Amino acid sequence: MFEVVAFYLFAALTIVMFVITVTSKNALYAMSSLAAGMIFISAFFFLLDADFLGVVQIIVYSGAVMALYAFAMMFMDTTKEVKENNPPKKIVFFLSGMIALLLVLILLTPIISDKVKALYPMSDEIGNTEAVGIVLFTKYLVPFEVAAIMLLVAMIAGIILASKRMDESITLKIDQEIEQKGAE
Amino acid sequence: MSGLEQFQDRNVSQNYYRVKIEPYPKTPWEKFKRVVRKSLKPDLLIGLKITLLEMLRFNIHTIQYPKEKLPVSPRFRGIHRLLRLLESGNERCIGCGLCEKICISNCIRIDTKPDENGRKIPTEYTINFGRCIFCGYCAEVCPELAIVHGQEYEYASEQRAQFAMKEDMLTPLDKLKEQKEYPGFGAPTPAADKLIKKTPLAY
Amino acid sequence: METAFIIETIVKILVVLGLFSALAGFATYVERKVLAFMQRRLGPMHVGPYGILQVLADGIKLFTKEDFIPQGAVRPIFMIAPVITAATAFIAMAAIPMFPEFTIGGYTVRPIISDMNVGLLFVLGVMGIGLYGPLLAGMASGNKWSLLGAARTAIQFLSYEVVTGLSVLAPVMIVGSLSLIDFNNYQAGGVGNWLVWKQPIAFILFLIAGFAETNRTPFDLLEHEAEVISGYATEYSGMRWGLFFIGEYANMFTIGFLVSLIFLGGFNDLWFIPGAIAILLKVFFFIFLFIWARASWPHVRPDQLMWLCWKVLMPIAVVNVVITGIVMMFF
Ligand code: SF4
Ligand code: SF4
Repeated sequence: MFEVVAFYLFAALTIVMFVITVTSKNALYAMSSLAAGMIFISAFFFLLDADFLGVVQIIVYSGAVMALYAFAMMFMDTTKEVKENNPPKKIVFFLSGMIALLLVLILLTPIISDKVKALYPMSDEIGNTEAVGIVLFTKYLVPFEVAAIMLLVAMIAGIILASKRMDESITLKIDQEIEQKGAE
Repeated sequence: MSGLEQFQDRNVSQNYYRVKIEPYPKTPWEKFKRVVRKSLKPDLLIGLKITLLEMLRFNIHTIQYPKEKLPVSPRFRGIHRLLRLLESGNERCIGCGLCEKICISNCIRIDTKPDENGRKIPTEYTINFGRCIFCGYCAEVCPELAIVHGQEYEYASEQRAQFAMKEDMLTPLDKLKEQKEYPGFGAPTPAADKLIKKTPLAY
Repeated sequence: METAFIIETIVKILVVLGLFSALAGFATYVERKVLAFMQRRLGPMHVGPYGILQVLADGIKLFTKEDFIPQGAVRPIFMIAPVITAATAFIAMAAIPMFPEFTIGGYTVRPIISDMNVGLLFVLGVMGIGLYGPLLAGMASGNKWSLLGAARTAIQFLSYEVVTGLSVLAPVMIVGSLSLIDFNNYQAGGVGNWLVWKQPIAFILFLIAGFAETNRTPFDLLEHEAEVISGYATEYSGMRWGLFFIGEYANMFTIGFLVSLIFLGGFNDLWFIPGAIAILLKVFFFIFLFIWARASWPHVRPDQLMWLCWKVLMPIAVVNVVITGIVMMFF
C-alpha cells in the first residue's frame, strides 16, 4: 500500500522535475529541479530495498549537480532568464520524443514477455553493500577496473591542463605590477 | 592607578616587544618543512588552553552599562555647562560673544543686554546639540572660563531642546557649592601660577 | 504490528523534531554564554535570570519579523532554500541511533527512526545535501555577497565531502559495515575498544571535516561577516533565517552523535555511567568543542581552506586508508 503510493508520488515528482529542467529558461530553476529529480530517483532505490544504491545516488548526484551550479555561477546571471537565439524546431521535439518512446519500448519488452530474471537475487545473509561488491568484483571486474583507469587518466589530464600556471600567484603578480607602475 | 592618573599615563611603549618573524620559505622543500613544523607545534592547543583557562578563572570584565558606569575623564567633552562665580554666585559669562564667533558648526546663539549695573549679561544662551561636534573650541576661547564641557554623555532625548537651554546648562544657585572647575580645554594648567612671568616694566 | 510501527515512527519523528529544535535554541544560549565567558564577558543578562529567556525573546523576534523577499530574487527558490537546510538536518537524524534500546511498559523502543544498513552513508549524504540550502539561497538572492557565499559553499562542499568520505573509510573497513549500530556494537568492550585508538588520524580528519560541513568557525567562510556581510544569508530575515540557524545547530548535534558513535564508543556503558548518559556527555562535549574552537581560533582564508583540504587532509586520508588496508591484509 505504502509502496504503491510512494512509487506513484515519486514517479510523478521526478517527471515534473525533469520537465521543468528541460523547459525552464532560467538556469537556476533548471538546475534546482535537476538536483531535486536526481534525489527523487533515489527514492525508487529505497523502495526496492537497495539502500546502498539509493544513498550512492544521493551522494554522487548531489556532488555532480553542485559542480554544475558552480559552472552556471561562473557563466551566467542565474537570476535572469536566458534568451535563446534559435528557438527549437518542432522536428527536434518530435524526434527526441520518438527516441524516448523507443527506449521505453525496448526496455519494456523483456518485462512484458516475463523473460526478465534476477541474476543475483537478494538474500538475507548478504547485505546490500556486500551484494554490490560481489557483483562488481566478480562478474564486472574488468569493466570496473577499466573504468577506474579511465577516470584516473581523465583526472591526471585535468590536473595537467589546469595546473600549467598554478604556481604563479595572481595577487603577488598584481603587487609587482603596482610597484612597476609606481616606479615609472 | 585610579581616575585621572590612569588617563594621564600615556607611556605605553614600555610594554612593546619585537615579534620575531622567520624568513619566508623559498623552495618547496622548505615550505613543506615549515608546514610540518607548524602543524606539529601545539599552537592550536595552546589557543584552546588559553580560552578554557579564561573561562574557568571567570575573570569577567563586563560593565553592565545602565546599572554600572565607567568613570569618565574630567577632561571629557560632554554636554556643556555654564558656570557661576564661586563667591558671588553671579554668572561668569560676560556676553563677549567669542564662543558664538568661534563655533565651527555655528551652533551657539547668545543674546545679551546690559543689566542695572551696566554689566552685559546674556539673556539667552543656547547650543544646538544637533549640530555641535563637541570640539571644545568654545570652552577654549572663553576668557572667563564660563562655558565648559560637563561629564554628561547620554545625549539621547525626546526633544531637540533638551540640554540646550541656558537654564539646563547653568549651575543652579543652590548647587553652587558642588560646582567644580573644569580641567580640560581652555582651563589654566595646574602649574599656571609658577609658569607665569611678570611683565617687565620696559613694555 | 503495522499500525504500531507507524505510530511508533511518527512519535519518534515528532520527538526528534521537537527535541532538537528546542536543543538548537538552547545551544544558541549556551554558545553565547560560553563564548562570553571565554572572552571575559557576561553574555546575555537582561531577559530572565541570567538571560535564560533570551532564547524565547529571539524566537518571538524571529517569528514576528517581516518575511522579506528582495525584488531581484528568484522567489520560489529563495523561499525554499532555508527549508532544505533545516529539513535535511533533521532527515539526517533519521538514521542515527541516539540511545540504547529501552522498554516502556513491556514495549521495546529502539531510538532510531529508520534502521537501514547503510546508515553512515545516508547521514553523510543527506548532510551533504544540506549544503544545497546555502548554495540555492546565495544564488537566488540576487546579491553579490550572497553569490560569493554560494560560491564558497560549492567549493567547500565539493572538497570536504571528499575528506569526510575518505577519513571514515578506514573505520568502515575495520568494522566491516556501514550501519551505525554495528559501529556501536563493535566498540562494546569498554574504553580500550574505542575506534579512536585504532584510527586516531581518521578521527582527527573526520572532526576537521565536520567543522567544515557544519561551517563552524575555523571554516565559516560561507557567512563570515568581515568578508561577505553574512554570505548566503545576507538577504534573509525572520523565520527563514531562523531555519538556517536551526539547521546549523541540528547539524552540530548530528556531527556530535556521528563522532561519538563511530570513534568514541557510542552508547555503550562507560564504567559506571549508563550508555544513554554516556553518549549525551560525549555529544555535549563536541558541542562545547565547536564553541570552544570558535572562541579560540581565527578563521582561515578560502585559499588556505582549499590548500588544507587538497594538499594536506586528502593525502593524509588516502595514506591512512592504504595503511589500514595493508595492516588488515597481513595481520
Ligand atoms: S560664554 Fe564665554 S566666550 Fe561665550 S559669551 Fe560668555 S564669556 Fe564670552
Ligand atoms: S563644542 Fe565646538 S561645535 Fe560645540 S558649541 Fe562649542 S565650539 Fe561649537
